[in-house]
Amino acid sequence: MSDQTAAIDIPAVQTEPRQKPVEAPNENGAGGGMFAFRAALPQRIEAAIAVGWCLVLLLAWEVSVRMGWVSSLFFPPPSIVLTRLWEMTAHEDLIYQAGVSTLRVWMAFGVSALMAVPIGIVMSSYRVVGAALEPVIDFIRYLPVPALVPLSIIWLGVGEETKIFLLWLGTFFQLVLLIADDARRAPHEYIEIAFTVGAKPRHILTDVCFRSMLPSMFDSFRITLGWCWTYLIIAEIVAADSGLGFVIWTARRYMHTADVMAGVVAIGIIGLVTDQILRRMHKRLFRYL
Amino acid sequence: MSEPYLFFHGITKRFGDTEVVAPFFDLKIAHNEFVVFLGPSGCGKTTLMRMVGGLEMPTTGQILLEGELAGPPDRRRGMVFQSYSSFPWLTLAENVAYGMRYRGDLSAEEKRERCSHYLEMVGLADFADAYPNRVSGGMRQRVAIARTLAAGSEVLLMDEPFGALDAQRRERLQAELRKIHRRDAKTVVFVTHDVEEAVFLADRIIVFSRRPARMLADLDVLSILGPDRPISLRDEERFFRLRTEVLQMVRAAAGDDE
Repeated sequence: MSDQTAAIDIPAVQTEPRQKPVEAPNENGAGGGMFAFRAALPQRIEAAIAVGWCLVLLLAWEVSVRMGWVSSLFFPPPSIVLTRLWEMTAHEDLIYQAGVSTLRVWMAFGVSALMAVPIGIVMSSYRVVGAALEPVIDFIRYLPVPALVPLSIIWLGVGEETKIFLLWLGTFFQLVLLIADDARRAPHEYIEIAFTVGAKPRHILTDVCFRSMLPSMFDSFRITLGWCWTYLIIAEIVAADSGLGFVIWTARRYMHTADVMAGVVAIGIIGLVTDQILRRMHKRLFRYL
Repeated sequence: MSEPYLFFHGITKRFGDTEVVAPFFDLKIAHNEFVVFLGPSGCGKTTLMRMVGGLEMPTTGQILLEGELAGPPDRRRGMVFQSYSSFPWLTLAENVAYGMRYRGDLSAEEKRERCSHYLEMVGLADFADAYPNRVSGGMRQRVAIARTLAAGSEVLLMDEPFGALDAQRRERLQAELRKIHRRDAKTVVFVTHDVEEAVFLADRIIVFSRRPARMLADLDVLSILGPDRPISLRDEERFFRLRTEVLQMVRAAAGDDE
């Protein structure tokens, strides 16, 4: 059988020139230009469309108010909101208030992260701890933060502690489970490689598990930091005398709708900038990915 | 016969109700022997190999290494996996050096020397500072091999290490692995379901049945193909005659309860 194989003479295939170059079909075979199903879009066009649509929406809003279709008491036009944002930044104390809020968010977030990282890692490394903590954490995690406002006032009064506590409540219980998941996702192979070069469990925890989860942990931080900002308003509505939440809440009392919107926009801008910075950091820190 | 270097003695393995290794598996492996475990996917051959590394415990029986219980994992028995075989956050050189990280018996200077020695041996000296995501899958597997050698492993446990590589890279790496084995003699337990790979690499092939794993054949390849395995061996009559023979054996094994 096999000696036959050796004797086979494979005739050389004639390579004939291609008749005519086949026209390159659109990426998905069908035509359709910009609306081709699941086709990629050049980055520049994508950006232009994103910005363009935002402008169109803002313009539509502006025009509808100017034409008197909607009341400017309820929907002050973007031009006025932006003007107010500028005035509040330049002549009033918006910067200070934003600083206060940012500080609160980062403090609460820092406490959450400092607690969540070790607890999350231990939860995923030792099932005993995980089994004990998971039900409690899952229960608290689903409690809406506003529902805990009265309790936290009873416990802590209306000072700074209450605000930090509420922000912490909103982030810690989410973050600890995310961290536990990140730790669990360290590939088993990594751990076994470490064992077979003589590592002890404590080495594996620091040199392998912690190291391999860093990128996803960073992402978990980025996500929960965003949630922290969403709880900020709730925390600062509770008898606050400073912060962006206070600014917004005060403006509401006097029906300064433009100021309310300016405050909201300020939070959005802070969030956007923070997120972009963190994304860049991620790229830089985890170049090996 | 003197006491075997590596001894599977009366092994059975069950996961819950599933029998993975049929009672009682016995196998003696000599020092520096290159043994390939060949069998259908999921047959339990990997489980047997992992027992040598201390990563899995037999339900009955013992694994003896030089007459002593193999016990929990240590650096005498190094693993090379198919994927996740190196740490992405370390450069290639750092990955190789990781094999010596927990060794107190080497000075920093010695570690550096060994690191470059083994990087050189697997042909990666030029890529020492690259991260694994920048190099080919074949290079990543070489790093893993170099790491286990640097760690001073005496037994190399390889779990389909070339399974994810394209055919050309795989052939080249197989030939290199044989060369490394010739130069820096180690006992190797290599798991694969690829017959050609098994025949090319092995001193000895153990053919397994479908799960629960049972030894169907114990083939002495060394006496047929000799210790040197250049890539051109694949074109030789004796190579594909043997391959065909083993292939038929494996086919019969795979079909025995269908």
